[in-house]
Amino acid sequence: MVNLNSIPPKDGRDYYLAIGLEGSANKLGVGIIKHPVLERHTDSDLSHECDVQILSNIRDTYVTPPGEGFLPRDTARHHRNWVVRVIRKALSEANITDPTKIDVICFTRGPGMGAPLHSVVIAARTLSLMWDVPLVGVNHCVGHIEMGREITKAKNPVVLYVSGGNTQVIAYSEKRYRIFGETLDIAIGNCLDRFARTLKIPNTPSPGYNIEQLANKCKNKEKLVSLPYTVKGMDLSMSGILQYIDTLAKDLFKKNLKNKLLFDSKTGEQLVTVEDLCYSLQENLFAMLVEITERAMAHVNSNQVLIVGGVGCNVRLQEMMAQMCKDRSNGQVHATDDRFCIDNGVMIAQAGLLEYRMGQFVRDLSETVVTQKFRTDEVYIAWRE
Amino acid sequence: MSGFEQLLKLNNCKEVREMTELTLAYGIPQFQKFTVHIQKYNNVTNSPELRSKLAELPFAYIDSKTVVSIEQLSSAVYKAVLESEYNRMRTRNLHSECILSLSPSSNIGDALKTFGLKEDSTDLIVIKITENNKGESFDGNAFVKGDLVAISNEEFASSADIETIKAVCIH
Amino acid sequence: MSAEIIAVIADVLTESIPLTPISQGAEAVVFTSPVHPYLPSSVKHDGNKLYILKYRPEKKYRHPDIDKALTKHRTLGESKLLAKLRLIDGLNVPKLIGCDPYHGCIWLEFLGEDLPDGHGFSNLKNFLWMNAKDPYSDLVKETLIKVGKQIGLMHWNDYCHGDLTTSNIVLVRGGEEWVPYLIDFGLGSISMLVEDKGVDLYVLERAIISTHSSFSDKYNMWILEGFKEVFESNGKVGLKKYKDLTKRFEEVRLRGRKRSMIG
Repeated sequence: MVNLNSIPPKDGRDYYLAIGLEGSANKLGVGIIKHPVLERHTDSDLSHECDVQILSNIRDTYVTPPGEGFLPRDTARHHRNWVVRVIRKALSEANITDPTKIDVICFTRGPGMGAPLHSVVIAARTLSLMWDVPLVGVNHCVGHIEMGREITKAKNPVVLYVSGGNTQVIAYSEKRYRIFGETLDIAIGNCLDRFARTLKIPNTPSPGYNIEQLANKCKNKEKLVSLPYTVKGMDLSMSGILQYIDTLAKDLFKKNLKNKLLFDSKTGEQLVTVEDLCYSLQENLFAMLVEITERAMAHVNSNQVLIVGGVGCNVRLQEMMAQMCKDRSNGQVHATDDRFCIDNGVMIAQAGLLEYRMGQFVRDLSETVVTQKFRTDEVYIAWRE
Repeated sequence: MSGFEQLLKLNNCKEVREMTELTLAYGIPQFQKFTVHIQKYNNVTNSPELRSKLAELPFAYIDSKTVVSIEQLSSAVYKAVLESEYNRMRTRNLHSECILSLSPSSNIGDALKTFGLKEDSTDLIVIKITENNKGESFDGNAFVKGDLVAISNEEFASSADIETIKAVCIH
Repeated sequence: MSAEIIAVIADVLTESIPLTPISQGAEAVVFTSPVHPYLPSSVKHDGNKLYILKYRPEKKYRHPDIDKALTKHRTLGESKLLAKLRLIDGLNVPKLIGCDPYHGCIWLEFLGEDLPDGHGFSNLKNFLWMNAKDPYSDLVKETLIKVGKQIGLMHWNDYCHGDLTTSNIVLVRGGEEWVPYLIDFGLGSISMLVEDKGVDLYVLERAIISTHSSFSDKYNMWILEGFKEVFESNGKVGLKKYKDLTKRFEEVRLRGRKRSMIG
């Protein structure tokens, strides 16, 4: 059993306060949360039932024009320019006038893009010194998982973590979130983003969302554009699919009549639309994701799935996952909405506060170095049984 | 008179009755609308004649050198029926499809050359597949001049050329 | 197990083929049947014989086009792999009886038996549990060395299993001894990569540790002993391969299956 109450809140209060700073990719997020001190947490395995209260959840996204991705340098500049304003807004929305009362400052230690991570950790260190509040470095993936568990109350789910930079199937075992399957090359979000770029699909609100909307408009759902299906055991690979569909998209734009998949060889009539491509890409990629998730579920004998990460907002992915779970006995699928699916500060605060309550926090600033590579299974999950 | 009718005349009723007794007839559980009939003839004398009329004769004639067991033969029949029911046949009819299914390669010419009837074949196996609901039946007459023998694994093994089979099927 | 899934395949095979479900994985359901899919009933030998049907049901979550193509591809792939493995001298895998790629069916010979005193089916897992009272007996040792030989033989021929657990090794009684058979090649492949083989060994080691932790050191040692024998019998080339393989195996063990992720 685990004791989550070993470190009491500041000033003898009956609740903890934590602020989380996230900036591993193009989203800058600051969130403030409150955990009440609960008797049941002294000796239990209930880290997914903290009765979290979200005091504020502010986010600012660095959006690039259609056809362009976000570069580390520019993203880092965006985060630097906005971090103070976003923190101020989060504090005022949470009605916190004296930030020195906060128990812990949580920041993303990785994985992610180096430069943006770096700009945010500098802000976190500054706050820590200014307010004299301890720091906790959080693994971004663990942040997603803990927030998902808290919101959905899923006790021990198989986690599908799908975002711009990550694609992993994770299951908890012996104090670690272990990776059962993952991408061997690019992440699913990355694949969708780059595809959107080729098709000049707008980046607002996000490329993935726009692909989903276009896919919904596909009129010819019976006929799928056949794409490579590249599940390799527990893992998957997506670079080949991207390359293949990118070529198709380019031929479509250039009206390359020689491509018989896209144009009728006699009449030159266009057979496939942008919507069809979006639909086929989604169907193909998501089928792969659901398949490796099902494998992991069979492996660990679990019937719960939790989908986290930006791509987890996709309704079609949730639908497919739900169908898979339905066909397994008593399967359940849990997903969160875009407030928590998309990178945010609250999730960093949630995972960071759990770690803090177990007595793990930064004792020396040298421990706050951020890292681009930070595997989910490197984190010791002290707060679970 | 066509070659088919000519051959038909050659056989009288008494012989036919014997033929039925020596024919192995069975059903495939998954495809109950078919009945499979298998015969084996030794000391066949009219192989060249049969060969010249292959297109008209609704049978699969197989050189028994290339078949070592009932399992080998019945698995090819199963595959042929499976393809015809769920996919599409690559040859003209179910009987030639059986010969193709014996072959590990998908080359029809090669399959017929290896497993089919040859000019100098003396022992051969006949497959006839009938569809029950079409009222089809088999009277045992496959127009082969030779000694009809009872079907058994031992009989198949005795006329099989293991080296040929190995060379074709295992590479 | 979903009754709907069973109904679908029972309908395809008709009532003339009775099915008894025995296990369900992520991808396939396994049945036994007393009926051979095509052998004439008049020539069928002993009446008590059972056959295995491995069935990949339709996955409704994915597009029908994807589902059909995958089911066909994987059913054929696994059948071809089994057929090739069967030709390797000394390697024990179940005999392929038939394959219906359009419905995702593979027919195999039934292997193994029920162990005495309710110890369950004769896979390696249950066998080791059964012998837990005398865990280091000669019988256990010899059996595990033979298991190692099977894996060595498979790897030496550049095949990988992909999901080598103690339940995927079935023991068939041969007089006083037990003869190990490798089953379920659903994730199997032809592979020249040491990585895949290292992972195979690692997965089995983990499986032994998690189910028989108190005796796992010796057990794994014996398996490796049999594994090594195969490579040693192949001279210099074999030894070189064995060294590369065990080196990678240790690397896999240190990092825990996955290579370091980038990004």
